[in-house]
Amino acid sequence: MQNWLPRAAELSAPDKPSALRRILHTTLGLEGVVGLLLLLFFVVIALFAPMIAPHDPNDFTGRPLERPGVVHPLGTNDVGQDILSELIYGTRVSLLIAVGVAIGTVTLAVLIGGTAGYAGGWIDNLLMRLVDVMLAVPRLPLLILITVLAGAGLAQMTLTMALLFWPGLTRVIRAEVQRLRGRPFVRLARHFGASPLHIFRRHLLPALVPLIVFGLVTAAGRAVAMEAALAFLGLGDPAAKSWGLMMRYALNLPGLLLTDRWLWWLLPPGVCITLLILALTFTGMALENRIDNRGQTR
Amino acid sequence: MRQQSGYKNRFSSYLLSLWVILTVNFLLPRLLPGDPLAALLDTDSGSYVFDPAVRTSLEAYYGLDVPLGQQYLRYLGGLLTGDLGQSIRLKQPVLDLLIKHLPWTLLLTLTSLSIASLIGLWGGSEAAWRRKSTLDKALVALSVVVSNIPAFFTGMILLIIFGATLDWLPLSGGRTAFARYDSPMAALWDYASHLLLPALTLTLALLGSKFLLVRSSMIGVLNEDYMLVVRAKGLPPNRAKRHHALRNAILPFIHHLAAHTGFALTGALIIETLFAYPGIGRLIFDSVVARDYPVIQGVFLVVALLVLSANLLADWLTVRLDPRLREI
Repeated sequence: MQNWLPRAAELSAPDKPSALRRILHTTLGLEGVVGLLLLLFFVVIALFAPMIAPHDPNDFTGRPLERPGVVHPLGTNDVGQDILSELIYGTRVSLLIAVGVAIGTVTLAVLIGGTAGYAGGWIDNLLMRLVDVMLAVPRLPLLILITVLAGAGLAQMTLTMALLFWPGLTRVIRAEVQRLRGRPFVRLARHFGASPLHIFRRHLLPALVPLIVFGLVTAAGRAVAMEAALAFLGLGDPAAKSWGLMMRYALNLPGLLLTDRWLWWLLPPGVCITLLILALTFTGMALENRIDNRGQTR
Repeated sequence: MRQQSGYKNRFSSYLLSLWVILTVNFLLPRLLPGDPLAALLDTDSGSYVFDPAVRTSLEAYYGLDVPLGQQYLRYLGGLLTGDLGQSIRLKQPVLDLLIKHLPWTLLLTLTSLSIASLIGLWGGSEAAWRRKSTLDKALVALSVVVSNIPAFFTGMILLIIFGATLDWLPLSGGRTAFARYDSPMAALWDYASHLLLPALTLTLALLGSKFLLVRSSMIGVLNEDYMLVVRAKGLPPNRAKRHHALRNAILPFIHHLAAHTGFALTGALIIETLFAYPGIGRLIFDSVVARDYPVIQGVFLVVALLVLSANLLADWLTVRLDPRLREI
């Protein structure tokens, strides 16, 4: 009589996995959960920076090069600004660039890739030629050249990165639009006389959403890495100090690595950059898996 | 897919890229808002060049007194004779500076690319062979994480551990300044010990994607029917792995290698800056601070040309290695 009880429990177990398990295994995967949680963490910090930061990062609140203490948990930099506050406000700069570049890149890629894939013919040929040419140009040296010439403003750098990042995603979007164009629902809409713009908005754009989200995350990750590299070369907006620029200023101090000062000045921004890039990569991987799986179940 | 577009077509695409790169390099300083070139010659601007000799040579190089079309022809003609202008900061021809610094960058990049390729090929094929084992899963996770850490951060950690804390390796430079070597071995060690940390940093930055690519293309090959035949006829696993599987998995790898040259050179630029390694990365860093446009333009051109040549070489190599592509 007692035997059936545990067996019933066993039987019901696979039918009702816990909510956490379901998210981990079917919806996002471990990397998706870790990535999104990390992203959420940074977004919260960026949004509530004025409340979290102990000081205004631009105020000279201490003596130069103070060691960590109660007033300045991560010490002060070479001009007496609070490093922890710089770090917290730096989240805003990195995320701002990430979001700006991501939106710019995806907009360009959808417009150009969509046009090429839908129009076909010589328009497609021309645009894909442009993509090939752009992909052959090394990005960082060009970005350095443009930034040195045009100045290292936040808006300028964001725009330049978007203008350099679109080709890769454009190719993917174009292939997907080409595939969708031949599908019955699009053909039918065309037969009923729908304009290309209508078809694009009503039928293509919704189908492109998974790719668009994936593109946003990938471009954002690249933007964070690229911004850090530029800042490391000294090319950053001094008015909006990013994590990369913090590291640059720290390294400008002679003999920084010979003292233990790097521990609170250099390491934290480096860890933050790495974690943000990893968060975006993990989220991208999770989305990629979902896009792949979706293709298989069809 | 891409190969179907044909070898000749690709070549013309590279020529087009070359022209675009040269033209972009010409137009950027002239057309960008803010007129950076005029600022060099404007007494009121922050970047005014004080040295009259340098100012004259700048005026002559950029030829701002003649129409744009004429400037363009002059620029292209100058390129043919290796005239890349003169450095504002160092008052030397840009070409000489590039020739002096480029070997260091090539040494760093090629060393790292070779080591990363060897480890990637070996590790990737082993991981694919033992797919879904704990080791495989751990290696995949590790390569994703490591390849996402910015190169300068990895370098900084290595520098702190091996250079500053343990004091085993030199902190910066390409060789000991003013050194006189007693023996060739001492010279070799001096160069190698300076190269070790930058090369290790770049290798780590390159390794992850190589490993992942080899692993996935190897898994693809292992699922092919001919690998079943290889196993059925009883070849020893090592022979099957190296001579049959890896050989077929190597073609995508060559293309990846070419596509990765740009990434490797770019990584080298950043890493050289960190380690004060005397390559073109160090050159570009010092030039950025001094707004030395001709030098930055020269570095951009050189890197772009190297990347283009690497892609061309990879196309040629794949056609050589894979006879199936020759008829196209």
